[in-house]
Amino acid sequence: MLREWSDGKAEALENLLPLVYAELHRQAASFLRKERPGHTLQTTALINEAYLRLIDRRSVNWQNRAHFFAVAAQAMRRILVDYAKAKHRKKRGGNDIKLSLDGVTLVASKEKGIDLVALDEALDKLSERDKQQASVVELRYFSGLSLEETAEVLHVSRATVARDWESARAWLHRELTK
Amino acid sequence: MSLLSPEKWQEAKEIFYAALRRTPAEREQFLNESCRGDDDLRREVQSLLSASESAGSFMQNPAVNEIAEALAAKKERIPLNQSLGHYRILNLLGQGGMGEVYLAEDTRLERKVAFKVLPSAFAQDAGRMRRFVQEAKAASALNHPNILTIYETGEFENTKYIVSEYVEGETLSERLHREPLNLKVALDIAIQITSALQAAHRASIVHRDIKPDNVMIRPDGVVKLLDFGIAKLTEKQSDVDLGSEAATAIKINTTPGVIIGTANYMSPEQALGKTVDARTDIFSFGLVLYEMLAGKRAFEGENAIEVISSILQTEAVPLSRLRPEVAHDIERIVGKALRKDREERYQTAKDLLIDLKDAREELQFQKKRERSHAPPRDQVETQIINAATTDAAQSSSRAERIIAQVRNHKLGFIVLSLLVLAGIGLGYWYFSHRISIANQIESIAIMPFINESGNADTEYLSDGMTEALISSLSQLPRLNVKARSSVFRYKGANTDLQQIAKELNVQAILNGRIVQRGGDLSLYVELVDIAMDKVIWSRTYNRQMTNLASLQSEISRDVSNNLRAKLSGPDEQRLVKNYTENSEAYQLYLKGNFEWNKHTREDLQKGIEYYNQALEKDPNFALAYTGLAACYGVLGDEYLPPNEGFPKAKDYAAKALSIDGALAEAHTAMAAVRLYYDWDWAEATEELERAQTLKPNDPSPHLLRSDLLIALGRVDEAHAEVKRARELDPLSRLFNTVDGADSYLGRQYDEAITQLEKTINLDLAFNETYLYLGLAYEQKRMYQRAIETFQKGMSQTERHPQLIASLAHAYAVSGRRDKALKVLDELREISKHSYVSPYLFAVVYTGLNDKDQTFAWLDKAFEDRSLFLIWLKVDPFFDDLRDDPRFQTLLRRVGLPS
Repeated sequence: MLREWSDGKAEALENLLPLVYAELHRQAASFLRKERPGHTLQTTALINEAYLRLIDRRSVNWQNRAHFFAVAAQAMRRILVDYAKAKHRKKRGGNDIKLSLDGVTLVASKEKGIDLVALDEALDKLSERDKQQASVVELRYFSGLSLEETAEVLHVSRATVARDWESARAWLHRELTK
Repeated sequence: MSLLSPEKWQEAKEIFYAALRRTPAEREQFLNESCRGDDDLRREVQSLLSASESAGSFMQNPAVNEIAEALAAKKERIPLNQSLGHYRILNLLGQGGMGEVYLAEDTRLERKVAFKVLPSAFAQDAGRMRRFVQEAKAASALNHPNILTIYETGEFENTKYIVSEYVEGETLSERLHREPLNLKVALDIAIQITSALQAAHRASIVHRDIKPDNVMIRPDGVVKLLDFGIAKLTEKQSDVDLGSEAATAIKINTTPGVIIGTANYMSPEQALGKTVDARTDIFSFGLVLYEMLAGKRAFEGENAIEVISSILQTEAVPLSRLRPEVAHDIERIVGKALRKDREERYQTAKDLLIDLKDAREELQFQKKRERSHAPPRDQVETQIINAATTDAAQSSSRAERIIAQVRNHKLGFIVLSLLVLAGIGLGYWYFSHRISIANQIESIAIMPFINESGNADTEYLSDGMTEALISSLSQLPRLNVKARSSVFRYKGANTDLQQIAKELNVQAILNGRIVQRGGDLSLYVELVDIAMDKVIWSRTYNRQMTNLASLQSEISRDVSNNLRAKLSGPDEQRLVKNYTENSEAYQLYLKGNFEWNKHTREDLQKGIEYYNQALEKDPNFALAYTGLAACYGVLGDEYLPPNEGFPKAKDYAAKALSIDGALAEAHTAMAAVRLYYDWDWAEATEELERAQTLKPNDPSPHLLRSDLLIALGRVDEAHAEVKRARELDPLSRLFNTVDGADSYLGRQYDEAITQLEKTINLDLAFNETYLYLGLAYEQKRMYQRAIETFQKGMSQTERHPQLIASLAHAYAVSGRRDKALKVLDELREISKHSYVSPYLFAVVYTGLNDKDQTFAWLDKAFEDRSLFLIWLKVDPFFDDLRDDPRFQTLLRRVGLPS
């Protein structure tokens, strides 16, 4: 299916998302088991693992990888935004999780300040005007790719990615602090 | 602000990014120039620039780091406001591997309580539960002000719970995250913890899991130590008594999605899987105290494995370096609590408590003195100087002592490997109930042992032990053991076990970690049942290097027992056979194998040296002779004239057989000599049969037999043999390629192309893969394709003489004679400084259609006894010569039917 998608069948993306989702879910859970509590997840490793399971590793070419990262980034964005939404609801219900007595502090968010739901909306807005730039944000922020990796996925230069990224950061920050 | 148009936005981005890299002073002018009076554009860029300034680290940390939290967020198991008996659940306080903790109300006594639900996995073992409850209650019954009081334990609808006093406040862990502690507060907390420990230890209760998360601090400063007995739930001595060191074995089981504990506060003896006593609490407490004072953990690492190695091997950074105001006596206390050898540690919490109290008094006394009469300045200085001199005097002697201890410690370091395992959960003590194995395991992959010694020089040991185990278990007739080359692909790759099992088609995987320090060796192994996704057996072996050889047989036996593979008497004997009693010899042999596996000329020479050294230590070490035979065999095949390499190989194989006639490897080595050098098909067949009887699952004899059968033109049988070899070693480069080569020699070119291209796609290609692929194309008259394939082979692997000769041949037969001659020159050039088989020159000349030269070179190949000649009967290269009487004569001399 992944290859279908890379062949240009866009509907495969929708079909693929649940698979990526499930796989990332499985991977994250397994990473959590392996990692020392409180440690950040090794993102690229996670995505790679998921990727390897999704596509027969023998027929991997970079084209497929690039597509995969693009899809994975979208999946990640959805997952994270959905989760943030759920957390919002929970907060309103007043049942905030306060502490963990057993030393198993689940991977702590270092970006507590960012409202992912608002970011998601702002990103949609950005995407209307500049699709590529929105993809840069997805890949960098939601998928944790480096500048170089992002450039490779999008087939653009590193400088272009850096420019898109810095200006998106400024733009989004302004949107979110309005 | 209205949005800019997409085009203008592109412009804005560029100007913004360019402006960012200019100094604020330059920006004004730059913006004037770039925006050229476009006010909207200019406003947007200006606004972005100021947003960028205030953005700080905004979004710099990828949100994906939250994904784990997002994905692993578990649903609360008990709905809020639910009543369980006379408890009403109010709020979730926390959750973790040891269950969830809720704030609840005891409706009968009208008080708030902490209601802890235990994970169902732990609740299933009644005996374990009972011991845990006993211990928790016993601690609680001490009625110590610093030990959490347990009110009740019970069960409600299959959910085990513990009800305890509800402590308002925060954990020490949270407190440490919030702010650094001042010395007095740290000492107060330390004294209360120690006081709780003293009471518990006096009642023979060991906590086993002292860490900041288990310490609650009430707003009034009272400290409560939580979770006595919890550790009882999670650790278990091995119940399979396998020998004197069984006490060190720890059973580990994984429970998906559950994390228990953290490695950061383990004592060395816990990490080593030894039985623990009260002194383990003292070490863990030392770590907590260190963290309170230093503001950071004493031992950190990227993951549990690293943390554990550093607990075992490194000394914490001296407190005084991190926090200079920490008094000397306090630093000494921490140091003494953190001694890796528990005999050197504080032996009792009581002693520790006395020292801590003294330190606190000293601190208070000093503070009081400072407050009450601030001395004149010069007086302070004198005091400081005095203090410094006394300290210096003391510390020099102390320093010496510490250095001596460190040194002793290093010498006598009994390290072991970590209980922690890649692929599954790390370093956590899972308790396990024994699992019965429904299906006998018939296939296994032994993953390359991980070298934890932190020293690449000991790689031979981890690789060698792995190979030895593969080799040893391959002797079991009913067990399919994946061969070395299949499993070594995964070395260092951290691939998911399920994935590996799928790729190799095995039911079980054996993982291991090895640590060598001086004369001590620790090996941790675990057996994972793939279908059940469970560790079905694991064990830590702590041994002296001098017992290396016997260790390997011991592990083989343990593994096979745990696979429930029934061993017949002779099987068992073979499995536990020690090939040498001399551990130095064995180590040298492993080093030799390590070099041999690399296969370059230099490595083979090194391998030969090691095997020879092994034989100096033990002249009757048959396996070392086999190693020598293998080295000379490869040398004779690739780097030396065969008539120089193979006779040596033959001597060594014979020597090995004279020492141990039942050594499968020696028969295989001898078979290779018989086949490739003596061209004695009957003898070769016989040796192969012996080797296969002795070691049914060794793929090598199948390969040799395939080479033999194809030489005789028995294509289908040859294919069947390769197929068997590939089953045993599915990811072998060699077998995958030989499969294609057999098709080529059997004139099935399409099949050859399919198989070889598949091999390349599998990432298993080496020079011969490209060679036979190119040759198959050539036979199909796809010359350009053939040429490209040879060229690709050279760029992807090496400019191997075989590829060069074949390229020349392809040029020649496709009419590009000049190019062919040029390539021939290259081959000649190479032959000036290293051995090039005359057969390869014959190949080129037959392409050039120069029969006389071809036969001259074939004769020379015959003199050298080139192994290529065994395929003369089927070799498509020489089809044009088959009618020539000289060719028939040659076939006869090689011993092949015409």
